[in-house]
Amino acid sequence: KITYFQSILSYNGGCVVAMKGKNCVAIASDLRFGVQLQTIATDFERVFEVGPNLYIGLPGLVTDTQTVAQKLQYRTKMYEMREGRQVRPQTLMAMVQNLLYERRFGPYFVEPVIAGIDPSTNEPFICAFDLIGCASTPGDFCVAGTCEENLFGMCETLWREDLEPEDLFEVISQSLVNAFDRDASSGWGAVVHIIEPHQVTTRRLKCRQD
Amino acid sequence: MFQANTQIGDYLVDEHGRKIKLHFDHGTTTLGFKFQGGTILVADSRATSGQYIGSGNVRKIIPITPSLLGTMAGGAADCTYWERVLAKQCKIYQLRNRVHISVAAASKLLANMVYQYKGYGLSMGVMIAGYDKKGPGLYYVDNDGSRMPGNLFSIGSGSIYAYGVVDSGYRWDMTDEEAHDLGRRAVYHATHRDGASGGIVRVYHIKEDGWTIISEDDCTDLHWRYQDEKMASSSQ
Amino acid sequence: MSAEMLAMSEYGRDPRKHHFSPYADNGGTTIAIAGDDFVMVGSDTRLTNYSGILSRNQTKVFPLTEKTMIASTGCWADVLSLYKDLQAKLTLYSQEHHDEMSTPAIAQLVSTVLYWRRFFPYYVSNMVIGLDEDGSGVVYHYDPVGHMEKLRFSSAGASVAQIQPLLDNQLGALNMKDAVPPKVTKALAHQLMHDAFISAAERDVKTGDSCIIYTVTKDGVAEEQVKLRRD
Repeated sequence: KITYFQSILSYNGGCVVAMKGKNCVAIASDLRFGVQLQTIATDFERVFEVGPNLYIGLPGLVTDTQTVAQKLQYRTKMYEMREGRQVRPQTLMAMVQNLLYERRFGPYFVEPVIAGIDPSTNEPFICAFDLIGCASTPGDFCVAGTCEENLFGMCETLWREDLEPEDLFEVISQSLVNAFDRDASSGWGAVVHIIEPHQVTTRRLKCRQD
Repeated sequence: MFQANTQIGDYLVDEHGRKIKLHFDHGTTTLGFKFQGGTILVADSRATSGQYIGSGNVRKIIPITPSLLGTMAGGAADCTYWERVLAKQCKIYQLRNRVHISVAAASKLLANMVYQYKGYGLSMGVMIAGYDKKGPGLYYVDNDGSRMPGNLFSIGSGSIYAYGVVDSGYRWDMTDEEAHDLGRRAVYHATHRDGASGGIVRVYHIKEDGWTIISEDDCTDLHWRYQDEKMASSSQ
Repeated sequence: MSAEMLAMSEYGRDPRKHHFSPYADNGGTTIAIAGDDFVMVGSDTRLTNYSGILSRNQTKVFPLTEKTMIASTGCWADVLSLYKDLQAKLTLYSQEHHDEMSTPAIAQLVSTVLYWRRFFPYYVSNMVIGLDEDGSGVVYHYDPVGHMEKLRFSSAGASVAQIQPLLDNQLGALNMKDAVPPKVTKALAHQLMHDAFISAAERDVKTGDSCIIYTVTKDGVAEEQVKLRRD
């Protein structure tokens, strides 16, 4: 019997997408934690709150998702205590770059995606990394995870400039759900965070369970 | 030289010089069992190539004659092609002998056909189910040429989950409704846990007068229906 | 021959394994959408070999009969030889029967022709599109060894992953609360196909240059070419 072992990055499944809107950003992910084709849990959150208006999604190998999330929590807490202020999205980006590049020759198998609003300027911010910390900061959306290609297709068509928060929610939800419905190792539920300067709305989506 | 057991994928190389496998296999859950009221066949409808879901609406239970059905697991094209050849053979048998072919004979025709190609890389794990003068019939046939009769089989990547459910609820003297529900639940649970199974759960029932489609339910509808049942029974 | 020369010659070398690679991936994407009385099929016009562009103006949709077409992408050599094989078989059929083969019959023929090469397949993603005997549009989708599925809409080739989820959403009305699938008009099909190709060209290097869209109706085949990005 042939078993198809793909890459370590797709061993546990999962995907994350972040999008810019008008004075808002959104980040969404699926909720599956699997081992290859076996679904272990359907309530696994891979998007973490870093500050009041700042989130990071860590799709990839789940052990590294957890390690990187904990290391980042440690570094951001230390930063906040030392500096006496919140971490800005740009700062988090640099932190993630340093964290990942420290392991250049034995990397963490995660491809992080950041979404946040700069607390001083209220500017929306998104960025995505490869697994050794090369960041890109596109003006529209970032995607990562097992159904990356599907997400690119959906986002490229549905995304528009200056989306209001409600429209942004609809666009990011439809992009994510329809993308992972064509992927065997993502899905089983989704969580969406809509980040505005003074509030964050978190919603869970009702999804296919197969 | 072209070796008999060489998979075509062995020739494919990507831009980095790594070998690419051309997958036309797909993960599956199929289930078949005999009981007092005949034979039940249940299957999901998902076709995957690698991680990508190629289709969510495949018919994995294939009509062979009005009283014979075949299931499909492994290579989709292998199963559909050879069961089509089997359908032809069964029709010819009926015209020559003026009787319907027995399940045993039909399954043996298929087993003999694929045995001729043993080692060539066919990928099939099928059930041949039907009703003949001996009563309900159910056979397992695979690409090695194995063929065996049985009361209960499940084939595919989701079979481990389906077996778990069926084994805990199976009785010979089930009513028709109990049998349909058991089969449906088993494959639903498999689609929930197995990434390569999903889509629509199709239930077929074969009785003395031939096969009928009992139900075709979307997995997600089943999920929320069973969820509601669980909530209702736990709140009592 | 001296021992020194022998050591330097080809014969003196360590045994080496040479790989025969009969397949190429020449990219290309096709989309097909069926309506009540028409079927629309489009392909991009880029032909690639790794990162090189072999052609910027090569359709991947070929006519089989007045009301049936085949859209093939993958290994271009196999695309051509499969098409030739099908043409020969259809010519024989039409001369024997004094009639063109129906679309469902062609669909089954393609499946069988592909399976005949089960142990050395045509490395091609195919769709057969046309009007059935009632005059309504149909799309058949194939895997490389002939597993066939009848659909209302589908995509195939390099950018399926980008395009198929979008078609599921927009034409299948999947994940839209209380929504019913829309009535497929020529305008809707054309708009969606165009959008899908633009998105695919944006993210996939194997898709681009332009797209040719064919509309098959009982009156014949209409053809239209739309530009895409060429980088």
